[in-house]
Amino acid sequence: MTSLAVDPYAEIAARGRLLPGLNPLAKLAAPIPAMIVLVFVRDLVTPLALIALGYAVLLVGARLDLRRVLLIFVALPVAVAVLGFGMAVWTDASRVDQSVVVLAIGPWTLYGGAFLVGLATSLRLAALIALALIAGLTTTGPDLVRATVQQLRVPYRIGYTALAAFRFVPRFGHELDVIRQAHRVRGSHGGRGPFAALARWWGYIVPLLAGAIRHAERVALAMDSRAFGAHPDRTERHLVPWRARDTVFAVAFWIASLGILWALFPWTLA
Amino acid sequence: MGSPADETATGTPFVQVEDVAITHDGESTPTPAGASFTLRRGEVVLLLGPSGSGKSTLALSLNGLIPHSIPATITGSVRIDGQDAAHTPVATLSTLVGMVFQDPDAQLVTGTLLDEVAFGPENLRLPVDVVLARAEDALRRVGLWERRTENPDRLSGGGRQRLAIACALAMGSPLLVLDEPTANLDPAGIEEVYATLAEVVAAGDRTIVLVEHNLDQAVAITDRVVALDAAGRTVADGSTDEVLRGRADELHALGVWLPVSTLAALALRDAGWQLGRLPLTPDELRAAVDAAEAPRQARGPEGARGPEGARGAEGARGTEGAAPRQARGPEGARGAAAVIAVRDLTVSRGRTAVLHGIDLEVRAGEFVAIVGANGAGKTTLLQAIAGVIPVPRGRVRIDDVDPARTDLRTLSRRIGFVFQNPEHQFIAHTVYEELAHGLRLQRLPDDEVRRRALDVLTRFGLDDRADVHPFLLSGGQKRRLSVGTALVAGAPILALDEPTFGQDRARADELLRLLRTLNEAGTTVLVVTHDMQLVTDYADRTVVVEGGRIVADAATPDIFSDAALLRRAGLRLPPLRRALQGSRHPSLAGVTRLADLPRPAAPDATSGAPVAEAAS
Repeated sequence: MTSLAVDPYAEIAARGRLLPGLNPLAKLAAPIPAMIVLVFVRDLVTPLALIALGYAVLLVGARLDLRRVLLIFVALPVAVAVLGFGMAVWTDASRVDQSVVVLAIGPWTLYGGAFLVGLATSLRLAALIALALIAGLTTTGPDLVRATVQQLRVPYRIGYTALAAFRFVPRFGHELDVIRQAHRVRGSHGGRGPFAALARWWGYIVPLLAGAIRHAERVALAMDSRAFGAHPDRTERHLVPWRARDTVFAVAFWIASLGILWALFPWTLA
Repeated sequence: MGSPADETATGTPFVQVEDVAITHDGESTPTPAGASFTLRRGEVVLLLGPSGSGKSTLALSLNGLIPHSIPATITGSVRIDGQDAAHTPVATLSTLVGMVFQDPDAQLVTGTLLDEVAFGPENLRLPVDVVLARAEDALRRVGLWERRTENPDRLSGGGRQRLAIACALAMGSPLLVLDEPTANLDPAGIEEVYATLAEVVAAGDRTIVLVEHNLDQAVAITDRVVALDAAGRTVADGSTDEVLRGRADELHALGVWLPVSTLAALALRDAGWQLGRLPLTPDELRAAVDAAEAPRQARGPEGARGPEGARGAEGARGTEGAAPRQARGPEGARGAAAVIAVRDLTVSRGRTAVLHGIDLEVRAGEFVAIVGANGAGKTTLLQAIAGVIPVPRGRVRIDDVDPARTDLRTLSRRIGFVFQNPEHQFIAHTVYEELAHGLRLQRLPDDEVRRRALDVLTRFGLDDRADVHPFLLSGGQKRRLSVGTALVAGAPILALDEPTFGQDRARADELLRLLRTLNEAGTTVLVVTHDMQLVTDYADRTVVVEGGRIVADAATPDIFSDAALLRRAGLRLPPLRRALQGSRHPSLAGVTRLADLPRPAAPDATSGAPVAEAAS
């Protein structure tokens, strides 16, 4: 239970680098125009260009540890390949360019057109992820909460409660493991198949919820006893200011991404 | 909003609880029904009462969580520094009352120790430099300042509870209320928390109200005791000396749990010992016993009798938890066949080995405790034996089967496993179905299922709850049902993981009486626990696990005579053993359990009413 897969509180060590020092909202706002346009993009080049932009910002602006390097250079490309192939198979063959045959197994044929559509779709998703990683890999949970409270005027009661809820995640993961173990020992895993699995998971929900509600009530009492919500605002020891460089970063990123989009319009497959 | 630094006129008491009755919404009878006491600044008070008397409820009303956060009807008045707690917001009261709760995990909000301690002062809108000064002071007081940048998850249970104390201190509130602060901790953690509390008390700047069942440590730091009766009315209020020493008999009769050393002294007095002042701590008991002469009858062969002799002579004084066990020591069980045999068992989680080369044999009818520090691998060992986690083939044998090769149906006829939280293992919608499920798994005919399920319901005192949803049972009933489901298929072996964790003494005793009844009827019991009194009172044999290896495996009294081993394995001597070890009286020197103390001559045949009828 002590080893957290993701520690939302972990300090992101990279003093002197650009991205960790920026306001989280700037890092979230910068890629938004490009992300919106990506929904309508259908070609291969536009998402590739935006992925390149995202990676360039990450590589220049953040110090990436091995795990993160593996994520962006191994895990994401592999996901693109797998997802792309899957999408290609899924695509309706009658609606794509059938001039190139990539693969033929018996009566079934995978056409080049379907392949391109699949790849474009998975690249689009990858581009969305790459852009989101700019904030995702360089921002801590508490900083994001502080920025939403300080700049977006989100009530701190909501922001800090959400932060406290992060603590629940590993706890519930552990509790779910124990419940599954207990149910297995009791012999409640009646049968195989999706319906049996559904029934099984339904059985986990009651004990998990009972435990979750009790835990949440206790946390709420502990927070109340420490004057949480006493005043309309609370002391912020860590200010997350919006500085000139945040504006510069966001605007520069907008210009760069919109420049790419402008150049590559109309974002369709040839 | 009153500043905590303001010292009110010395005439008015700091805490004034007047005839407080609290009825939780949805209940009809108030508990507590009429609690009254007053505290001056700087007093350290232990709030005692039998289980269900409303001690924790009363504690929650001191900072207004009741009725503001937990709906309840409250009559009478709670005044803190002149402010009426029922009509002052919790946030305002938080500057007067700091709280520490039972579950250390449920008190964490942020990601580092420093942020955690600063959380309260920040909510009070204190300036940043004041927040930091308070946080540093509080963390230094509990000895965690050096670890301020760490995630609280990295702390041990005891460390997290010390952090909770620091958080309460940082609020700057003059009153500190601790509600069962050590109930979820292992022995080393309990010791840590009390060392910290002793320092807070020594500084003298806080009034403390302590609700606690680990009285042996608690009495060392308290100077006043307020005791409630079963309905939650104040029946005793005075100095620790007056109440605990002067009225121990009366409190004990009310069902108030007393320090083990006091109980032991009461038992010795009944046996004719002249002890003078009633001792409250192991040290005092030791001094009192060493100063006294053993009475004539306790010196004879009768006095030197072992548990065997004491059996059946359970006095009215004997607390439930201390009732003598069946004298089925390892000697008695040695002739029996091994029902569990573990050979060179290694279990890995991921790439790290959790258990290394375990060899263990358990014979039919034994009561075995598996103990060790947190993370030593004791739960893994129990789960491996019971087939809860996969084990390599040919390493474990339960009776005639290998859990690695057998199916669940066969295994559940050999061994039943009870999880720490009974709710985790409930899978049906009614209590009856919960039991019937295990029987249907055995492919028994319907009438047989019905007969045996009803039989178990009766045996475990649940016959009037057959159609209730298991989650709606009381805590004790849930626990009994979880034991019932583990045994319903006819398993002669019962394995329990931390069965008394987080429970109050009364409920723990109820379960232990049940286990003893089952054990006496022949069920082999394996239990993983931190509760040293449980181990010494009930287990014939103790297995000490350390770093994934069995470092000791012997009769319980032998384990507890090796202080170095215990300390190394994160365990502690139970209070009685600490008091009497090396006593100059040979009849007492080996005693670890209340049941082993010399008894008055007249035997009393009525033992603590068993929760369940003996398993047949």
